[in-house]
Amino acid sequence: MVVSPQWRSPALWLLAAAVAVGLLDDPLNLGLMDPMRGVMVFALLGLGLNIVTGFTGLLHLGMAAFMAIGAYAFAISSCDIYPFQLGFWSALAVTAAIGAIAGFLLGAPTLGLRGDYLAIVTLGFGEIVQDVLKNLDAITKGTQGINPLPPPSLPWWGENGFGWQEFGSGERPWYWLFLAITLVAVVACRNLERSRTGRGWLAVREDQLAASCMGIAPVPVKLVAFATGAALAAIAGGLWSSLYASTGEPGNYDFQVSVLALCIVIVGGIGSINGVLVGSVAMIGAANIALPKMASWLQQHGWVNSGNVLGSPNNWKYLVFGAVLVVMMRVRPEGLLPARLERKAIAPGGST
Amino acid sequence: MNKRFLAPIASLLLASFAMAEGGTLKIISSLPRTGSSNAQTTTMVNGIKMAIDEVGGQIDGFTLEYEDMDDASPQRGNWDASIEAQNANKAVRDEQVIGYIGTYNSGAAKISMPILNKAGLVMISPGNTAAGLTKPGLGEANEPRIYRPTGKVTYFRVVPADDLQGRVAADWSKELGCKSVYLLDDRELYGKGIADVFEKRSKEIGITILGREGVDSKASNYKALANKIKAANPDLVYYGGTTQTNAGQIAKDLRSVGVEAKFMVPDGCFENAFIEAAGPSNLNGKTYVTFGGLPANQLTGRGAEFCKAYVSKYGTEPEAYALYGYEAARVLLDAIKRAKTKDRPGILAAVAATKDFDGALGRWSFDENGDTTAKILSGQTVENGEFKFAKVLGQ
Amino acid sequence: MAMESQPSMWVDVFMQQLTTGLSNGMIIALIAIGYTMVYGIIELINFAHGDLCTLGSFLALTLVGLLGMDAWTGLPGVGGVVLLLVSCALFCASLNWVIDRVFYRPLRQAPKLTLLVSAIGCSFILVNVALFWGGIPMEVFGGGVAAAAPKDFPALVSDENLLGATAKMSFTMSDLLVVCVTLPLMVALTMLIRFTRLGKAMRAVAQNPTAASLMGIDVDRVIGATFLIGGAIGGFASVIYALYNNTISFQMGYRTGMDAFTAAVLGGIGSMPGAVVGGLLIGVARALSDGYIEARWTNSVVFGILILTLVFRPSGLLGAKLRDKV
Repeated sequence: MVVSPQWRSPALWLLAAAVAVGLLDDPLNLGLMDPMRGVMVFALLGLGLNIVTGFTGLLHLGMAAFMAIGAYAFAISSCDIYPFQLGFWSALAVTAAIGAIAGFLLGAPTLGLRGDYLAIVTLGFGEIVQDVLKNLDAITKGTQGINPLPPPSLPWWGENGFGWQEFGSGERPWYWLFLAITLVAVVACRNLERSRTGRGWLAVREDQLAASCMGIAPVPVKLVAFATGAALAAIAGGLWSSLYASTGEPGNYDFQVSVLALCIVIVGGIGSINGVLVGSVAMIGAANIALPKMASWLQQHGWVNSGNVLGSPNNWKYLVFGAVLVVMMRVRPEGLLPARLERKAIAPGGST
Repeated sequence: MNKRFLAPIASLLLASFAMAEGGTLKIISSLPRTGSSNAQTTTMVNGIKMAIDEVGGQIDGFTLEYEDMDDASPQRGNWDASIEAQNANKAVRDEQVIGYIGTYNSGAAKISMPILNKAGLVMISPGNTAAGLTKPGLGEANEPRIYRPTGKVTYFRVVPADDLQGRVAADWSKELGCKSVYLLDDRELYGKGIADVFEKRSKEIGITILGREGVDSKASNYKALANKIKAANPDLVYYGGTTQTNAGQIAKDLRSVGVEAKFMVPDGCFENAFIEAAGPSNLNGKTYVTFGGLPANQLTGRGAEFCKAYVSKYGTEPEAYALYGYEAARVLLDAIKRAKTKDRPGILAAVAATKDFDGALGRWSFDENGDTTAKILSGQTVENGEFKFAKVLGQ
Repeated sequence: MAMESQPSMWVDVFMQQLTTGLSNGMIIALIAIGYTMVYGIIELINFAHGDLCTLGSFLALTLVGLLGMDAWTGLPGVGGVVLLLVSCALFCASLNWVIDRVFYRPLRQAPKLTLLVSAIGCSFILVNVALFWGGIPMEVFGGGVAAAAPKDFPALVSDENLLGATAKMSFTMSDLLVVCVTLPLMVALTMLIRFTRLGKAMRAVAQNPTAASLMGIDVDRVIGATFLIGGAIGGFASVIYALYNNTISFQMGYRTGMDAFTAAVLGGIGSMPGAVVGGLLIGVARALSDGYIEARWTNSVVFGILILTLVFRPSGLLGAKLRDKV
């Protein structure tokens, strides 16, 4: 297969931009490295959802549940109040495995369902996971959240010579590690998309009947997609909780997060890996970088009147966030960086 | 040209002189400003601003700058761990920042406490009540050590923790003659924590617990639950929760299905918004609210002055949250005044050394854990749609 | 004696819970109809529908405040409730039509999920509008001081027990109101869809928009009409919701919307009777779970029922078997 330059350029541009942020953040005092770590966690979540919704065409409204399962699996296998006390990397491996198993267990009985029926099942699963995390205090510490969680460690040169070094509070090592993990995930997703499994996903998405006539069994194919997506979401959850050294309350993984993940995938361009990356920058960037900056700027310039509901910039955040979604969809209904395949499929005379 | 126009110009000039003399000290508050807690945190921010205005926006030639940061995000509608961490990191990076007022939610404090601790930046919370944040032995085994990576105490709070308020609430309900109680909580850190303490104390002093339920704070009504409580027939219903976790609706539904029991709630409901949400007629004469200090109209000295100023500025009496916000800012400003060097270590040391502070919540000090020594709590009832001071609790 | 009275008391409490559940369920069902109608015709999970109802409730409270309606009794009181119902229905109907026009219609040819994100965006905008609305300096909004705080909705309909003050069971005026508004509405709606030209056109568009337009049906107009009707029903629901629960808040659309959407799917999305059955079932399941299991597991119980139902009946309780456009 000939690799066309079209797909290559956005990915390389993104990588170049990410490296530039990493190198220029300190000298230019941008303050971007810190929020960008969150963006990359959500990019991983988006990549997971993209496999399920983008490649395989299954609407999934419970991605946050797998993120929660990941965060708690990571916490329980690594936190010092539990007996396991694994290190960062082994805990992360356990997390991915548990995520995949959870995805499999949810998918096995329900993947026969069509479109939006499956969507509500995943939504319901998300709510049930919330309840379980909140109510089983003995295991999950309920609303307390589990902390502290270990930071990543890498073999590096430290004070005592070469050896495993734990990350401190500085953003830099985190940023580069997360960037590396995201890169690995992107490459993995890209390879998966082109593999036999990935072509199965696309075939099932395009026409399940035709696919099954060609000898592709839809349910196992969907199951693999479900489990892979769940594993990615779980890794995102594990990294997220490691980043903040705490799982936080179960409420941190509620339906809103699932919706956010969906917005990332669709705003970016459904089924497009580059799209997910751009989508997460756009969505998390809007909510976590642009909106706080806007509020802060307005405050500094005295544009705040706390006596009036309209006077506080914080009271406009829902509106701005909603408007961003609506406008993006209006301007680019196919997403910011649409998937190549989709374009070809709808182009007149295009062959698939 | 009249005085009205000259005044701001004069203060601008003054400010610019001051800038030349000392420099800028920045105070940051990190509270959930988007979503359901907005009403409460707005009054907190009002309190903080009042405290800064009182000193004229400057101390010893240093100009005070204040930024009201939001630790909630629109997509969550509630505090967001990423944003709380981001706020803390931003505060740490900005060398002018010498004080961090926050957080409102104890869960958020767990995220930012270690970050600020490592930077030696003082953090004063106007709202966290989870006991484990400061008190060894009351939370998990590793708390509060894990929030102090440097081993130093950098976190302080002006509100009494759950272990105090839940306890006096149970004692008070016994005094009121309640022999049995039905416990509800909102399944959040604050509400569940305080209900746990209430439950424990009730068992110690011989109040029968007829049931304990965690409610869904987003439900549209609680009539079915109220039917169940009616059948259990308790003397008191205690709800560990806040106005924003639907305390008003619960009070309403208890009355609408005909539960005759008394209703008691903690300071998360000590605000007019609670009475407005519940409807005064559902609360009058049967509702009891505990609060970690004295209510505005019982204050003397500093507190009374603050109340007068607050009423003249905002037109309403300051509520629990305004008082807490004001107190947090004032104790910080007081420390800045006393600090020998106006930098992070100097101000941290001064905050930790706070002794016999004459505040709006009484006269108190910070203990070695960073907790307020104020042990005076108060109980109020609701009469004619207004809070009425009933008695001092916990002495 | 205790032994004799226990079973009868148990029955009383059970019947009470059932009544509560059914009343709640009817409100859910009314909102679910809005979801199911829109889904049936353009296959969109209209995320903004719950928030549309929130705005309806805010309008109702504003009217109550403007007209001083909480002091009305007797016949004017009844007239007041009718006035609220009518004005909120008109308001929500037109707003829903505008929402379709602005947020959805330009995206008719776009992928289905694009529409979904537009709906999510619209929902965020409506939530913000409700927040601002709560900040209007009116007595009923607490002077607008705390815009985000929940607002008390005056009990225009009394909680007086219609079975007599001493009866063990209670069936209140507000329960009656729910029944009296919901049932006729459902009947009327069913008639409209079964027997009118518009209803026929709606069914045709739902089945196959292309074929319908070839038959000379103005598809956009039919979709617009669907949004109008769904919005009107939502408007009725918003008033009933406010009168029954007596509290409104700017974020309430989230839970009502989710419950209603779940009801629509449980009953078989696209099916009108399905939405009603689903709504009633969820209302009753919630009440019984609160009453006999534990309130903290209620959401799990509801969604557990949903998942199990769908595993065994993949098209919902009353959903059509053969309609796969995915």
